[in-house]
Amino acid sequence: MNEHSIDRRPNCTHNSNPGVNKKSGLDRFFEAHGDNASLGGVRHQGDCRMDVIDQLGSLKEGKLSRRKFTTSLMAAGIGVMTTPLATRKATAAAADQGTFFTWGGYDIPELFVPYKEKHGELPNFAIFGGAEEALTKMLGGYVVDVSHPCNAGIPRWIASGLFQPIDTSRLSNWADVMPELYDLKGNIVDGRPYLAPFDWGQTSITYRTDMFEVEGEESWDMLWDERYKGRLGSLASGGDAWWCGAIKAGVPLTEIDTPDAFEKIAAVMRAQRPLIRLYTDDTTTLEQALASGELIAAMTWNSSATLLQADGVPVRFAKPKEGALTWVCGLMIHKDAPNLDLAYDIIDSLLSVESGKFMISDYGYGHSNIKAFDAFDDETLQGLGLSKTPADILAGGHFQIPQSQQWETKMNTLFEEIKSGF
Amino acid sequence: MSITNGPMSDDATGLPKTSRLGALLQRSEAARGFSLLSPTLFIMTVGILVPIGILVVMSFWTQVGFGFDTTATTANYQMAAERPIYGALLRRSLWMSGMATMATVILSYPMAYFVAFHVHRNKMMWIVLITLPFWTSYLLRVFAWKVVLGYQGVINSALMNLGLIEAPLEFLLYSQSAVVITLAHAWAAFAILPMYVSLEKIDKSLLEAATDLGDGPIARFLRITLPLSLPGVISASLLIFIPTTGDYITPTLLGGPDGAMIGNLIQKQFGAVNNWPMGATLSIILMLSIGAIALSFMLIANFVRKRIS
Repeated sequence: MNEHSIDRRPNCTHNSNPGVNKKSGLDRFFEAHGDNASLGGVRHQGDCRMDVIDQLGSLKEGKLSRRKFTTSLMAAGIGVMTTPLATRKATAAAADQGTFFTWGGYDIPELFVPYKEKHGELPNFAIFGGAEEALTKMLGGYVVDVSHPCNAGIPRWIASGLFQPIDTSRLSNWADVMPELYDLKGNIVDGRPYLAPFDWGQTSITYRTDMFEVEGEESWDMLWDERYKGRLGSLASGGDAWWCGAIKAGVPLTEIDTPDAFEKIAAVMRAQRPLIRLYTDDTTTLEQALASGELIAAMTWNSSATLLQADGVPVRFAKPKEGALTWVCGLMIHKDAPNLDLAYDIIDSLLSVESGKFMISDYGYGHSNIKAFDAFDDETLQGLGLSKTPADILAGGHFQIPQSQQWETKMNTLFEEIKSGF
Repeated sequence: MSITNGPMSDDATGLPKTSRLGALLQRSEAARGFSLLSPTLFIMTVGILVPIGILVVMSFWTQVGFGFDTTATTANYQMAAERPIYGALLRRSLWMSGMATMATVILSYPMAYFVAFHVHRNKMMWIVLITLPFWTSYLLRVFAWKVVLGYQGVINSALMNLGLIEAPLEFLLYSQSAVVITLAHAWAAFAILPMYVSLEKIDKSLLEAATDLGDGPIARFLRITLPLSLPGVISASLLIFIPTTGDYITPTLLGGPDGAMIGNLIQKQFGAVNNWPMGATLSIILMLSIGAIALSFMLIANFVRKRIS
């Protein structure tokens, strides 16, 4: 286990600058169906003049998309000066490999064995700290081959017009992909999926079995337990915490966007706040605090429990009676992907059984390839909160439902206030 | 022909306007001055004025989905004034960085004093030693403090091993004091160097004269050294106060729920909250607050210095 060092996990911050990438893996849950009225179509990359004219037009109308804004800033700055040089490609591709734009932790050889066999090299990696950041960057004109969003963001990502549907006939592993995973809300447009599902898992409570006295069944109440005031931790992003708060408050996730739901969840989150020692998006921080006993229980993803157990720390990933929060992430192809064939090879490699085994054993995450589960016995899978019939878990889980950008902004604004004590 | 001739002279000379302009540039001292300044001016304009201008303009916009409504409105400023979190976090940031500034200056002054007055050889080496910690990343220094102050960190382990405490002290980490301590250390060189320079510049004969006239060491310090080193103290204070107020890395890593500063909120506006205009508004408010405080600080310091001398 230890050969995979702590900073290569999917959800922890990228190891090169752990402090700056604070948003870390959290924003993956965070995407939502946006108001895309102002997104417009995507034009030819690098046509700065067009952007400036568009921008002037938009200004007259009193509307300006963020992509137009950032693009024109680029044009005014470096863009104009280096137009002949600027290729606007993600990287000066090493030996013309495809580019995978992803979370820190997915940039590892173990996930690209088939790809490397075929092409002799790993793909090029571009790392983001949060999916929101990634989408913003691509809206600003950054072109990659493949990127890695999560279920709640898919409709909004598709609406950006930046991605192309996936030709599943080009993926040798597609037949083994669980249909429940790609049939997510908004993913299939005109009969074609835009997202190839890859990894999935749960947000729940990792707790110290030697320090936490569970009363009755495991439950979200554990993170509201007054006995452990000041010894509880939480992921800081509303994309996790707010939704788990909804489960705790008994708000059905289908009704999470009503004013009543906002009030109920806010009340629950305010009640929890004085008990929390630490809100962080840096999973390493949470794991270290759990390992040292500074925290007795914390809201985490599966991987934290898996890694701590591998290190011999007595922890358990709770199966709360109210249900955990389930998430699914996957791969999308940029509409202007410069290496389309390689893009399909990247996806195929990630969907392979080899990658699946690695994801399950080392990261404790679910994988979209049903055959990947065959290598594990029931007990192992149960310990990871997974199952040989993962569809059951998915059916029983609470899925986030894509929300409008206004909802996201309102939720995040409110949650930031609550975290700061207001 | 004099350059003060009116525009009519263009026709009279028959010279095109451009060469007149060239001649003007050659002759006018101001113009030559400007041409010398121009690289700086360019960098200042492109690197500072334009971005701040964009920030100001954007603070009057409204976020709509992924785009902006560019109709000018003061709604963001109204929201900043109305919702308690913004004011409270701003006050907390100013307070915390004020404390950090005070701690840094007080702890750094003796160091600067020592190097200026008591080191006679190898001064360069001392300066290098002072700046040595700054050869590593700011982040690493912050993380180092996390290790020192942590639950099973250096201080807690030491105290527990000595039997002074039973359980680790929890207030050390994830608190405002942790942020203040870290800021005070992380910015120390920015305090030591300007104070060292102003101490170094003090004419030693003044001190000798004071001794001859019967002043003791304390009187000498209070009447000569301190007042003359005040410019260094002031610039040190500003050099620390201004950047620390907007810091968000240290509070993120060491602050805990009660240690968040306004920088964290601004960062969230541009990221998670997805409200760039609000982020711009908060940045402008922060800049204005710091500017006002820095200005009043300078005025007070000036006044005090005049009174002393």
